[in-house]
Amino acid sequence: MTSPADAANPTVEVRQASKWFGQKVAVSDVSCSFGPGLSGLLGPNGAGKTTLLRMICGLLSPSDGEVSILGTNPRRDHRIYRKVALVPEEDAVYGYLTARAFVAFAADLSGVSRNGVDAAIASVDLDDAADRPISGFSKGMRQRAKVAAALVTDPEVLILDEPLNGTDPVQRAHLIDVFRRLAAGGRTVIVSSHVLAEVERMADRVIAIVDGRLAAAGGVHAIRRAMADIPYRIRIDVEDARKVAATLVGAESVTSVAVAGSTIHIETSDLPDLGRRVPRVARDLGVRLTAFEPEDESLESVFRYLVRRRS
Amino acid sequence: MRAFVSIVRVTFRQVVGGRRWIVLGLLALLPSVVMWFSSMDSTASAAIDRYHDAPLAMLLLLVVPIVTLVVGSGALGDERRDGTLSFLLVRPIRRSTIALAKLVAAWLAAAVIAGAGGVLASLLLAMRAGTWITLGPTLLAVAVGTAGYTAVFMVLGHLTSRAVLIGLVYVFVWESGISFAAPALANVSLSRIGLSAYLGLIPASTPGYTSLTEALGSLAPGAGGALAKALSISVVCVLFAALLLKKRDATGE
Repeated sequence: MTSPADAANPTVEVRQASKWFGQKVAVSDVSCSFGPGLSGLLGPNGAGKTTLLRMICGLLSPSDGEVSILGTNPRRDHRIYRKVALVPEEDAVYGYLTARAFVAFAADLSGVSRNGVDAAIASVDLDDAADRPISGFSKGMRQRAKVAAALVTDPEVLILDEPLNGTDPVQRAHLIDVFRRLAAGGRTVIVSSHVLAEVERMADRVIAIVDGRLAAAGGVHAIRRAMADIPYRIRIDVEDARKVAATLVGAESVTSVAVAGSTIHIETSDLPDLGRRVPRVARDLGVRLTAFEPEDESLESVFRYLVRRRS
Repeated sequence: MRAFVSIVRVTFRQVVGGRRWIVLGLLALLPSVVMWFSSMDSTASAAIDRYHDAPLAMLLLLVVPIVTLVVGSGALGDERRDGTLSFLLVRPIRRSTIALAKLVAAWLAAAVIAGAGGVLASLLLAMRAGTWITLGPTLLAVAVGTAGYTAVFMVLGHLTSRAVLIGLVYVFVWESGISFAAPALANVSLSRIGLSAYLGLIPASTPGYTSLTEALGSLAPGAGGALAKALSISVVCVLFAALLLKKRDATGE
């Protein structure tokens, strides 16, 4: 049976790859693959996502294991980069170039025509700033310039390391749309992020990595289900908190209840049930409900849980 | 070829960008300033002798090494520091092409800056002595010296983030110190290779020629030999830089 970490038609394959820098293990025995479509590489900061992506791109050599793109080890054959593009996490831009010159430079380096420069700039909605030096750009604009420089090469495999960092919600929605369209066109698009909601929004398939190890893999919903046994911690602000807490304490979905002033801290194994129950209780008791918020959305804690469970 | 030319163009702007070219340009003016003051009221012969004594020595022992150190170490070092190296490496280009383009750009930049200093000093000499005899040899010496130094410093810039510091130690301790104290080491002195090119073109009857040949140590004057050495150093450094680009991890720092 195929592992959920393996794509059906893999274009990028990682086999038992590890990478350590001196005593520090950045990636440990990771095996996974990516195929056409949009895949999310998810994990908290420092999880090893960038190291894994840099190994996939051939910028880092695995300390152990193997990596290939389109059947080729990128460290052995540079010609493979004609079909691969990377948008790195760091500000890998030449500040003294204009966005247009930067994208044209990328086209020259990849041996593709400069005819696609304007289209690439337009696709990330950077037309108005195309003739300004990148040094004056905001973080979000730099991100878009980097994405344009990747798109101009028309890659079969596009690897993006935290491409949405620094972008505003409108830009983010636009970029996600661009990535989704590329994926729909049969390209392999790998997007790393430490934001669960972002990945959930764009990726059909997720590889989750924590502490350099593969923590979970598969469809977003499958991973959600895998997390189902973690109790959700919810904060509720309500008038007469004690009375509301006393009513909720008997509910089957409620694991624990604690009251502090007008705030109730609840752990629940069934968030939808609690979401329906709380407003009903508040209405029945005639009290005003002012907040219903998850307290522990920390991705890191969720993934640490997944890792603990695996081991 | 388009990739090569693009890298040369972008690197040229990169290595002389910001205020670098102003600072390096001012440094390159030093031999001319010295020439101006040292040759006042001199005869033609004395002016040529003084050109050899101070401005030329300053050009080959100070201006060329410092300019090439800044420009050469920045060719790949700036890319590592700024995180743009991955932008170049994830391309269907041979690593040797990247290294060669980097060297050509840095060499052009260094040769233009240091060469301008040499041209100006020779111009001042021509005004005093009425001869352009030093211009061609000076330009060749600058071209040869900058080629050798730039190639070495380009590799150094890729190997370490302390390239400028190490390069300064190399220039002042090795080039201006040890290799002068031990004439047998002149063969491995880059500034002496430049000087050998200069002496290979200038007539032996030129004032100051003999004292310059003494500074050459065990090295014989000869433009062809100097060019061949500079070319060999450049080729070895390009191949070594290409190997580093291929084998070393690009961590993106």
